[in-house]
Amino acid sequence: MGGAGWLFLFAVLMAAGLLFTMVFFIIMFSDLECDYINPIDLCNKLNQFVLPEHTAHAFLAVLFLLSGQWIAFLLNAPLLAFNVNKIRSGNHMYDATEIFRTLPTHKKESFIKLGFYLLSFFYYLYRMIVALIADSE
Amino acid sequence: MASPAQQLPPGWTAEWDATHQRYLFIETHTGHTQWEPPAAGPELSPQPSVSPPPSHHAKRRQYAAGQTQAYYGVGDSLAAVPQYSAAAPQPQPTQLFTPGLAADGQFQQQQQQPPPYYGGHAEPEYINAPQQPVYPVQPPSQMGVLADQFGQMTMGHKGLRLFTTNLLTSPPEPLELRQPPPEIFLPPNSCLSQSPYANADASYQRCTLNAIPTTNSLLNKSKIPLGLVLTPYRSLKEGEEEVPVVTDTVIARCRRCRTYINPYVQFIDGGNRWRCCMCSLSNEVPQLFDWDQVRNQPGDRWARAELNHGVVEFVAPTEYMVRPPQPAVYIFLIDVSHSAIQSGMVATATRTILENLDRIPDENGRTKVSIIAFDTSLYFFTLPSGGAESSMLVVSDIDDVFLPKPTDLLVNLQEARPALETLLGRLSDMFQDNHTVGSALGPALQAGFQMMAPIGGKIMVLTASLPSIGVGALKNREDPKVLGTPKESGLLQAASPFYKTFAIECSRAQVSVDMFLFSPGYQDVATLACLPHYTAGQTFFYPAFNASRTEDAIKFAHEFGKVLAMPIMLEAVMRVRASKNLRMSSFHGNFFVRSTDLLAMPAVPQDLSYAIEVQIEDTITAPFVVFQTAVLHTTCYGERRIRVVTTALPTTSNLSEVFASADQVAIATLLANKAVERSITHRLEDSRDALFNKMVEVLTAYKASMTAAGAGASAQLAISENLKMLPVLVLGLLKNVGIRQSAQIPPDLRAYAQALLTSLPSQILIPYVYPNFYSLHNMPPECGTVGEHGIIMPPPLPLTSERLERHGLYVIEDGQTIFLWIGRDAVPQLVMDVFNLPSYEVLRGGKTTLPVLDNPFSQRVTAIIQKTREMRRGVYYPHLYIVKEDGEPPLRLWALSCLIQDRADVLPSYQQFISQLKDKVSVNSMPSFAIFNWMFM
Repeated sequence: MGGAGWLFLFAVLMAAGLLFTMVFFIIMFSDLECDYINPIDLCNKLNQFVLPEHTAHAFLAVLFLLSGQWIAFLLNAPLLAFNVNKIRSGNHMYDATEIFRTLPTHKKESFIKLGFYLLSFFYYLYRMIVALIADSE
Repeated sequence: MASPAQQLPPGWTAEWDATHQRYLFIETHTGHTQWEPPAAGPELSPQPSVSPPPSHHAKRRQYAAGQTQAYYGVGDSLAAVPQYSAAAPQPQPTQLFTPGLAADGQFQQQQQQPPPYYGGHAEPEYINAPQQPVYPVQPPSQMGVLADQFGQMTMGHKGLRLFTTNLLTSPPEPLELRQPPPEIFLPPNSCLSQSPYANADASYQRCTLNAIPTTNSLLNKSKIPLGLVLTPYRSLKEGEEEVPVVTDTVIARCRRCRTYINPYVQFIDGGNRWRCCMCSLSNEVPQLFDWDQVRNQPGDRWARAELNHGVVEFVAPTEYMVRPPQPAVYIFLIDVSHSAIQSGMVATATRTILENLDRIPDENGRTKVSIIAFDTSLYFFTLPSGGAESSMLVVSDIDDVFLPKPTDLLVNLQEARPALETLLGRLSDMFQDNHTVGSALGPALQAGFQMMAPIGGKIMVLTASLPSIGVGALKNREDPKVLGTPKESGLLQAASPFYKTFAIECSRAQVSVDMFLFSPGYQDVATLACLPHYTAGQTFFYPAFNASRTEDAIKFAHEFGKVLAMPIMLEAVMRVRASKNLRMSSFHGNFFVRSTDLLAMPAVPQDLSYAIEVQIEDTITAPFVVFQTAVLHTTCYGERRIRVVTTALPTTSNLSEVFASADQVAIATLLANKAVERSITHRLEDSRDALFNKMVEVLTAYKASMTAAGAGASAQLAISENLKMLPVLVLGLLKNVGIRQSAQIPPDLRAYAQALLTSLPSQILIPYVYPNFYSLHNMPPECGTVGEHGIIMPPPLPLTSERLERHGLYVIEDGQTIFLWIGRDAVPQLVMDVFNLPSYEVLRGGKTTLPVLDNPFSQRVTAIIQKTREMRRGVYYPHLYIVKEDGEPPLRLWALSCLIQDRADVLPSYQQFISQLKDKVSVNSMPSFAIFNWMFM
């Protein structure tokens, strides 16, 4: 198995991980709506995952960039830019005082990210298989 | 005015009735009484031209005498009803009356031209107290007439009728803002009780619409925002009815939706069960509901307070407690850095606390207090109980705050009283020579928090400097270049996350924070105000405070003293429930939203307003809906209670009723909250645009659906009579310091104005947005003297400088400041009478206290100023500024900026604003839009 194969295998695993994180976020948000959790606990819990999630995604994107996987990198670039912008303006953390006002936005964002990770999961899988086939020929 | 007794036919006498402010006519030989002057003949045909009624309106309705008496006999329930006004609102428009022919003619006339308020009538008919509005044109009372006249146009059932006015030709009328909100016409038999208190008073809870549209699309068509404006815990002025308390801990609540029993439920099954008015579930009536536990005998269910009152308080049993009721705890964090000492803040504050120790709520001797002073270190004081001496403990390690002693820091107020008194007397002297600059506010807050965290309570912060070291340190981010640009809203957001995370910790531990800010320079009010905002406290800002000016010291001492004496609610949570298909969608005000509809308030001060937006989720089928606010709290006297505020409102599927029931004051209050929120999350400009566009939308919707013009351009700008003041209120908001477009407003002042806009109840907010303007030099002779309901206030003038005469003396007041404007040609006698100075030239502008002089005019002016300071609820004690017409420009401009109907800089005058609105409305109501609307009608 060549470099590309390993890279995409890793990417598939990462995407799966990110996918689960997003599912977790969405479940937590709906818990909040149903009053199963209070906003303070919710924010404390979710804020632990925000930076790891962003870092993981950024790491993946950088790997694509370094290994010259241009298409894969370009696919990830918009989200990367979005995350970097959020961190720079300092509103990447969930704020318990504002959470109910911003909840619809957060949910929408999480859903879009979920869809994105899902698509990229299959894309990486496809690229991995392509790489494996190319290797074995 | 000549006594009408002279014009009476033989056998009649007239008696002045003080309660109703009119003559009562008595036929001596039969004992028959009536309000109307008897005509010469036996039939009661009104002949106003022959025998005019004593009121200056000739358009008095002629009621059948018996009914009139029965109606007035209802008594104090009608106390809020304008009494001078000739036509009182009729409970039943079908009531018997014979409209005078002349009256009709006059009515038409009045529709066209503003009624003369001061027509030189000797009969006093203006306000005694602004809470008791008197307004001659009383639309509800005209209903009967109009119902007859335009019967074919209206829907034919009892309810609100719509009156259209043209904004272009009818200028705003200040008296109209003192009108009560549109009447609530509930369907018959919806209420169990005949009590006039069955619906909560508007000062506790009011809705932007007093008839709720049945569908969301109908609401959207009207474009009026639906929301509740509430002040569940308001102070009571003397003579106001106390909130009734249900002491027997029998609390009937719906099993499903947890609604408290209220006057709008239905008893079924022979009174053994009750049907919830919100979810229609049938519930059992508790066994002890009909039992009088005090006298231990069967009681009368119908006399229970919760079935007769819209506002009621239940004493809560132990199920409503997570712990025994806590004592009230007050911790004072006093800044003793150089600037605080220099400004005299410490001395004034300690003296005020000392003087008010008796007023701090402490009925059963459980209240605890503590004092922590701070500059760059923390100073704790041990107050041994019984001892008279305190000792100071200094903690200079501010990175890891700890309490130097486990006991004697937070002490019982009564036990440690002697020690506390000596400490308060000496505190300012102890730090007299303190030259430390800087403030460790964050660590001090943490120390206070540690001290009270097990109990909860109130932290009062008095600080005169920007927090500079330790956690929560802030930087001076005031940058004149940013002002007026889109980046300005950044200055209104919290600079440090500490003040939010700490606020959340406080909220969890039931700690509330009040901020008193005194800085001579930038203090980042926006950030510091976060703490009171999320812990349900209050912010007070005294820019450039200097206690050597007596006015400053008096203002602060007065307000601080009132805050100290205020009976607060502790450990409170508030929840608003509403009928099916109504949902509370967003919340504005000082609290922390703990779950989708639960508002956590560690302490509830009096007279704070909260605004809640309401969504209609599905078609409402019920004939009326109920909003119920419940505040579970511990009183500062250690009793767990639930305050329940219930408002029932009819539903309607008729757009004209939606418009006719709109409450402009509530709408303006809600819009103020929304605008402030938008200015923080977006930009200030966005919030102004949103306000303007909302107004355009409402006008467009009104034009499209309620006027004949419908689409296209038309020569008028129509709005319903009850929304007539909305445009000028919106203009007032656009010109308010908190939102105004300007590059000169310091961010601290803006942030404070925004804090006020989101926390003031309507009664104080409306003057803050639309100030009062009185002319004193030519006020009628009664004004300023004590009338039946207190001091008689002069008639308010429209807010335009056209009304300023060069020789005049005026008062402009917005509830936070009072300006006494004096024209440059003021006669020396006037200056002598009011200020005890020989001439206008000698008079100096600025903050002042009026001298008490021994002449009637001075006494009347002083009385009016005094009344202005006292007539509203709330703790605010406005400063009095003398403004000379040719005095210092900043002060003059400030005073003139209150006259919001004038053009100022880039801000439009009222006329311009109206024509801007009109242009926008004409553009919006293009034919396509009209067709669209027509299709859905």
